[in-house]
Amino acid sequence: MPLLGEKDANYLRKTFSEQLLSNVKLLVFVDDPSVCEYCDPTQQILEELAELGEKIETTVYNVKTDKATAGMYKVEMTPAIVILNDSGKDTGIRFYGIPSGHEFSSLIQDIIMVSSGNVSFFNEDLSKKIRSINTPVKIRVFVTPSCPYCPKAVIEAHGAAILNEHITAEMIEANEFPELSMKYGVSSVPHTVINERHSFVGAYPETAFVSELFKALGGM
Amino acid sequence: MLFDLGSISERVAERYDVITVGGGPSALAAAIYARRMGLSILVTEKAIEGGQLNLTTTIDNYPGFSNIRGEELAAKMKDHARQLGAEFLNGVVTKIEKHDEYHTIMLQDGKAILANVILLAMGANPKKLNVPGEKEFTARGVSYCATCDGYFFKDKHVMVIGGGDTAMNEALHLSRIAKSVTVVHRRDKLRAVKALQDKVFSNDAISFEWNSIVDRFEGSSQLEFVVLKNVKTGEKKRVKTDGVFVAIGLSPNSDIVRNIVKTDENGYILTDENMETSVPRIYAIGDARKKSLRQIVTAVADGALAIANAFEKYFA
Repeated sequence: MPLLGEKDANYLRKTFSEQLLSNVKLLVFVDDPSVCEYCDPTQQILEELAELGEKIETTVYNVKTDKATAGMYKVEMTPAIVILNDSGKDTGIRFYGIPSGHEFSSLIQDIIMVSSGNVSFFNEDLSKKIRSINTPVKIRVFVTPSCPYCPKAVIEAHGAAILNEHITAEMIEANEFPELSMKYGVSSVPHTVINERHSFVGAYPETAFVSELFKALGGM
Repeated sequence: MLFDLGSISERVAERYDVITVGGGPSALAAAIYARRMGLSILVTEKAIEGGQLNLTTTIDNYPGFSNIRGEELAAKMKDHARQLGAEFLNGVVTKIEKHDEYHTIMLQDGKAILANVILLAMGANPKKLNVPGEKEFTARGVSYCATCDGYFFKDKHVMVIGGGDTAMNEALHLSRIAKSVTVVHRRDKLRAVKALQDKVFSNDAISFEWNSIVDRFEGSSQLEFVVLKNVKTGEKKRVKTDGVFVAIGLSPNSDIVRNIVKTDENGYILTDENMETSVPRIYAIGDARKKSLRQIVTAVADGALAIANAFEKYFA
């Protein structure tokens, strides 16, 4: 049985045909269901997306048997989603845990952003600032699927990753990775950690998000 | 398992008959009425359409739905408006400029969109307690969103501050996750409706601290203690807890319009009986408006009344 209802499927089919320009590759990394409760549904929902958009391609890798690929994309946990652009280049976007609930819309937004090459919510000035970063940045955004503010924090981080190849941005579903959440003291979401040392809680407006990014890098 | 399409933005035009600032139930109802009258409408929303519905675990007072999850009702309302041709924009409105024959909304990315009529549907945000330690321990044990953060307190001891419907709904939601829930209320009886009172009083996991307010929050890196003060005796006591959920009411999200339309001393927007504000062609609907009952059922009514009046006055 499909996870997406018929209405949503039709809406997505229309949205994809109108808004997707170039191809988008979704890599899904899974483990055995006995150790990864949400791997099967994650794989299924991404396979359904590939059915709905002809520009979307989903490839599934098992982290145990496809170790080399998992290593190449530095996949640390499962389920994981990596998004590549038309030329096969890693966008730096990661999802750890199932993109369900409100996070499903983050995934759809990401697919549209990558395919259209348009990260419209950052204005020219902010885009320029993000592009000027030339050191590695890792943004981790802890979320829960029931949190309505979380997609904004995730999309800003993912948008920054699209704009700058030095930036990797992860959505982490906090309930699925309790130890990691505990390590960072996550008890309210969205909780963003940049380069391990700088963190903030809440969905910030774009300007404030970029200023947090620079604070984490040690100055503006 | 739910897969929500909430915040996907579509391509938007440069001018609409009607624009809503905010996308909660009042705006979605307005969108349904506007489309059926043949008006074009853009619903702008900074987070997820449905607004506070998404923060409500269970709704059992909206006619036709004896028991529905908030996010599910939100998705249904949005779907209804979308099917009729309402358009959606995910973004933050930073400014509203008034003119005579139309008004303009300015978005964070610098874009301006015109509308003949604007509906202010910004809703309200949870009020803070304003006590020592609150800011310091926000996101370190103090939360304003049980729907978002509840699961971090699985099998732990939590408190809910407040005595209204929202507080009791949160207490019930948390009682299914946490080991114990203590409700702290400043009076000796709840303000919540009887149906909710019956549920919380018969729930073994929920206990009460009556006539009590929070004096301050204490802890090291995470919240550890709440100091409660009895308002009758003045006595203070220090209680160990893992998490505190604050639900003491709302404050209107009307900052961007306070110098444009008339508001009351608390920031609630004043309107006439047709929802029109002190500025022609600007209406206020939903929780941001000064009114006597803030519920989904009154929010949707506001949306319908505003559109019906605007249609007659400015489009007929």
